[in-house]
Amino acid sequence: MPLDMLSDISDDVLLTRFAKGDAVAARTLTLRLTPRVLAQAYRLLGNHAEAEDVSQEAMLRLWKAAPEWRLGEAKVSTWLYRVVSNLCIDRLRKAQPDGLDTIAEPEDPGDGPADVLQRQSRARALQSALGRLPLRQRQAVVSRDLQGLANPEVAEIMETSVEAVESLLTRGRKALSADLIGRRAELGFEDG
Amino acid sequence: MEAYFDAARSETAAPSAELMARVLSDAHAVQAGLIAPADKTTTRRPSLRQAFRALGGWPAVAGLATATVAGVWIGATQPDAMTPYTSFLQQDAALYQVDLPSGAGFDVDEGTL
Repeated sequence: MPLDMLSDISDDVLLTRFAKGDAVAARTLTLRLTPRVLAQAYRLLGNHAEAEDVSQEAMLRLWKAAPEWRLGEAKVSTWLYRVVSNLCIDRLRKAQPDGLDTIAEPEDPGDGPADVLQRQSRARALQSALGRLPLRQRQAVVSRDLQGLANPEVAEIMETSVEAVESLLTRGRKALSADLIGRRAELGFEDG
Repeated sequence: MEAYFDAARSETAAPSAELMARVLSDAHAVQAGLIAPADKTTTRRPSLRQAFRALGGWPAVAGLATATVAGVWIGATQPDAMTPYTSFLQQDAALYQVDLPSGAGFDVDEGTL
């Protein structure tokens, strides 16, 4: 079956097909979920190589969970984001002695049109500022503001209440804003 | 902050081809492990069925079962009707020892017995 014919099939149905040995389901889930998982891991870790390792580990856990997966009981992406989030936090806590401020700026992507460069500069600046946020605030901001998840889903991923997520988001956004205010001119915000 | 978030959302890290290959390879390895135990159970049953069919199905198996039961019964109870056929097996004398009269030979002459 062509992959595009599976685009309407939900993740959990594909996962049960995977458990029955469907190779197309394995390929579809890999193509569909790995980019999302990597994006979240990268935003939390700020390091591409580590984010790829975490993504592979999270996807492996998903494959292993497939035989016990019950249709309609949990959302695959929420489950996966929680696994990624926990794996990233474990890594960041282990790396804590070096200090979170040491998280490197992402590589310079090279030359390009001015607006693309400016957007890339802003993205890199935000990524660095995220690296300086406390872990829980970073987790909330990445899930809500960058991954675009709803607050109840973020609460489920973080295993906390919606109110706690809202509080973390408020503090996180405020801290990010304070961190980036000194770079406004450099990042093209001199007009406003 | 929204301008920063917009910029970050549009600059999503893309997975490398190597990562995709690693994830897919893990998927196939896990799938192979999930399918292998099921294969064992499904191959064992057909082999029994195949043996059953090879023997000739129910009539042949019923005949085999009757013969087995009869054999056990004969061996265990030794009915009288079987004694003439089985008692010689208990004699001490060896059956190959034959006494021949003196002078007897094994010559065979034409026309005589």
